[in-house]
Amino acid sequence: MTMKQQEMIINKIKDTLVRAGSTFREDQKEAYRQAIKKETLPRAKWVLETILEDAEVAEKNRSPLCDDTGIPHVFLEVGPNKSVTGADLEAIRLGVAEGLRELPGRPMGIKGDDKQRLDQSGGLDEDSAGVLPAPILIKQVEEDVLRAHVLMLGGGPAIRGITHRVFHKHSVSVVTDEIVKRASEAVALLGCSPCALSVGIGRSQFEASSLMIEAMVYSNFAVQSDLEKKITDKVNESNVGPLGLKGATSVLATFMKVGPQRASGIRVVCMRPSCCFEPRMASVEL
Amino acid sequence: MKKIVTPITDEAINEIAVGDMVYLSGYIYTGRDAVLPKVLELIESDGLEKAGINLQGSVIFHTAVSPAGVGPTSSNKLEIEGSIPALSKAGVKLHLGKGELSSKTIEELDKYNSVYAVIPPVTALLESKTLERKLVAFPELGMEALHLLKVDSFPAIIAAAHGKSIY
Ligand code: SF4
Repeated sequence: MTMKQQEMIINKIKDTLVRAGSTFREDQKEAYRQAIKKETLPRAKWVLETILEDAEVAEKNRSPLCDDTGIPHVFLEVGPNKSVTGADLEAIRLGVAEGLRELPGRPMGIKGDDKQRLDQSGGLDEDSAGVLPAPILIKQVEEDVLRAHVLMLGGGPAIRGITHRVFHKHSVSVVTDEIVKRASEAVALLGCSPCALSVGIGRSQFEASSLMIEAMVYSNFAVQSDLEKKITDKVNESNVGPLGLKGATSVLATFMKVGPQRASGIRVVCMRPSCCFEPRMASVEL
Repeated sequence: MKKIVTPITDEAINEIAVGDMVYLSGYIYTGRDAVLPKVLELIESDGLEKAGINLQGSVIFHTAVSPAGVGPTSSNKLEIEGSIPALSKAGVKLHLGKGELSSKTIEELDKYNSVYAVIPPVTALLESKTLERKLVAFPELGMEALHLLKVDSFPAIIAAAHGKSIY
């Protein structure tokens, strides 16, 4: 890889991270506009309008949507004639670091050895780039492209998310009812609603979590399957509302990815109540 | 939308009700779990004035102040919610954060004619309404130190006042 190629990847990832942390996608803005129209409670409407206003200011200023700027997660799509080298991965890592400095990300990386990082006794890294990205996910795709998606995942949904098995009893409703139950409790406790529920269903904890990320990557607030819509509607019956202050809009959409399954009595479900700003994602072709 | 300006008087609090949507302007302190117990120690030891802190009619916003901006953290964290009664007694009139508070805390707020408001986590918008920011005390806590912000029209909803709660 030439210096120029490396610089190009660094700059593209930097810009994509800043866009992820500061921009709502058009389908997300439209989901908010529709929710504002439907809400009848004035304070629920007002919260939704304030979040949308925040998104407009953040996009204009390229500044963080929320002060919890999140943990960077990178998802790579690799087409048939494309390759990913160690040098590419290093350039992506550097691009993430530069992006965090430019956004700027909240300096919340913990320094030190295993024990110090566990109890936070190692102190905070003052550099925004001290927040290291999660391991990169790579997906083989048919389109001949090398594309990176950067997601900035906040702490609230990490606290309230659950990855746990469901005994399916050979019934789809048993699985979706359990997702609704877990999500309704999580959304009520999250505070930063309205949510977008991100769900991955797989054969292991790793697979379910990866599918949950994939569901966020391919998410579209305007395109909902029957199952996704059913989950959204059911959780909205809980009347948690924006910011937990009651109202019709607890959940704007559900993004669910069902992976391959095994012959067994359980499905492993990863459910993340993505907060009012998520999926906080932007994409770029490298 | 009602307007609230610091320093907040008892009369102004009497006119506020649960569910009111308000714009908050003036000087507000920021603090969360790391610094609030230290402020309580200053109250106990009569050290507020020496530290340059005046809590009469004041607001405490439960947030860190980082280069990324400000945004509410959950006010029902042990150290934060636990600080509310003593801070109210010492003159804080409005506690600003997010999440539900216990009925005991709501009673304590009422006892000192203080209120609790929630603010959406709208960092970019809050940044555009922040006119000044200054470190006040405990610089060793970094972004969790006690800061003072001068703000213009922060949007909030009164979530607990006069013994009643929105939740
Ligand atoms: S949960 Fe989301 S909106 Fe709430 S503080 Fe975290 S990133 Fe911000």
